[in-house]
Amino acid sequence: MSEYLGIAVFFVMAAAVVATFVALASVLGPKKPSPTKLEPFECGEVPFALPAGRLAVKFYLTAILFILFDVELVFLFPWAVVYRGLGAWGLGEMVIFLGVLMVGFYYAWDNGALDWQ
Amino acid sequence: MTDLLVIAPELVLSVMALSVIVVARHLRRARAAAIWVVVAGAAAAFSAVWLDGPASGFGGTVAADGAARFFKVLFAATLAVAALLSVRHLDAERVPPGEFYALLLLSSTGMMLAASAAELLVLYLGLELMTLCSYVLVGVTRDRPISNEAAIKYFLLGSFASALLLYGIGITYGVTGTTEFVAIASAISERGLGQQPLLLVGVALVAGGLAFKIVAVPFHAWAPDAYQGASAPVAAFLAAGSKAAGLAALIRVGLVAFAPEQRIWSAILLGLAVLSMIVGSLLAVSQTNVKRLLAYSSIAHAGYALLGLVPGTPDGASATMTYSLVYAFMILGAFGIVTGLGQRGEELEGYHGLAAVAPVRAALMFLFLLSLTGIPPTAGFVAKFAVILSAVRAGYVALAVLAVLCTAVSAFFYLRVAVLMYMHMTESPGPAPARFPVGVSAAVVVAASVIILGGLFPDSFTPWTVPP
Repeated sequence: MSEYLGIAVFFVMAAAVVATFVALASVLGPKKPSPTKLEPFECGEVPFALPAGRLAVKFYLTAILFILFDVELVFLFPWAVVYRGLGAWGLGEMVIFLGVLMVGFYYAWDNGALDWQ
Repeated sequence: MTDLLVIAPELVLSVMALSVIVVARHLRRARAAAIWVVVAGAAAAFSAVWLDGPASGFGGTVAADGAARFFKVLFAATLAVAALLSVRHLDAERVPPGEFYALLLLSSTGMMLAASAAELLVLYLGLELMTLCSYVLVGVTRDRPISNEAAIKYFLLGSFASALLLYGIGITYGVTGTTEFVAIASAISERGLGQQPLLLVGVALVAGGLAFKIVAVPFHAWAPDAYQGASAPVAAFLAAGSKAAGLAALIRVGLVAFAPEQRIWSAILLGLAVLSMIVGSLLAVSQTNVKRLLAYSSIAHAGYALLGLVPGTPDGASATMTYSLVYAFMILGAFGIVTGLGQRGEELEGYHGLAAVAPVRAALMFLFLLSLTGIPPTAGFVAKFAVILSAVRAGYVALAVLAVLCTAVSAFFYLRVAVLMYMHMTESPGPAPARFPVGVSAAVVVAASVIILGGLFPDSFTPWTVPP
């Protein structure tokens, strides 16, 4: 069982960090309650609406940009696990991969995908 | 490091594509971008032919043999000609040139990867890169509803075909325990899996997925709508490149991976070839839109190209390679004329009396139509003769007779365009069409010279068409 000790410590640490931040935010943060803030919140969407409702297309743009970083992480995790065995060649390959992704991100940025208006 | 030499053409194209994406917003005019794309295509072809690397790379998953080199040069040429065709067209349709050329380059990269794949998953990766870019290219003229509709239809049917291919790959892996072509063949013959019903399902699904890319019946439904909705240079690129990539994949999979399954593989390709030739030729007869006409002709040509693959011999594969090259140039040329004529070139009506007002262009169109029909002394005749000969040599005489009959039917709708151009000179031919842009003229002349030289010197391609 001793090999699970690290995982247990990890969970405790994660819970402690999150609890600390939530507690700090609730103690130190400014409080300006309003009816809007009491509503359930789902990424800027009205959580319950008929499907006939119209939807701003910029949410989809944000979602697609999110996928960019999502894919990046999917490849970074297994790479990080075997990184020691790969050496400098592995580092170079990952830099190239991230460079390709960043080209896409730069394109989106350059074309104003991050301007919210 | 030597692995990178194996995919040098792909690297050239993808680096160029990324550079174009970075500067995309500052590209206002298509001409500069098109020149760079042509340069990249030439560099890719150069590195494919003259760069001496190992015969395979990346653990044997990517091959760099004669067949891979041949198809890489073909895709580089297709890319360059399509780029030349689209210069003026993009400005007229208000298509952003950076995005267009980046997608064109990435699509060609996918084709090259598919042609050199020696493993099912690399093959899938290449084909998927090619197809994903093609979906966007078809819908790139966003102002036109017909273009959007075409892109959506192409996307839905294309994803379905990709799923078929992937499912076939999965089943093949499940039965043989490997995805490498050579290992699949040895697993089948050594472990006696030839009669395994599950493997037959896998073979059929892979064949179906690849048949979608070459527009063979019954996987053809997307082509007429996609070609009609896409702008003419994109349709030319699809017809020439996508079909050649699918044929390259079929050649390698059939000759290497499923060689022990030759009987069932031949039967499937035979069915696809017969259906494609008949359906394509018959449906083309009633078309009045030239792009749809060329789409149905593309279906029929998929059938002719498959004739060389039905026997499963290296000679037949070599004939199919010649066919894909010749077909690429004649369809690029024909779509080039359609592009140059603009709105007038889209409908058959527009060709009324064209020879009176634009004799050179009418003559070039006539040349491409002759080649598509398969009449000497054009390269179309040489290519069609080679595939039919390979079918006859393997004993498929009935198939060869059917091919000739379908050619006779196809002569009707190809030559009808010629009749419209030349025989209706006395009626009012309308105003002369505007001069062709320089890029379109260059592309059409290149295509025409390949067609004529290939017809006059029938053996000029044979040193290059080395089957895998």
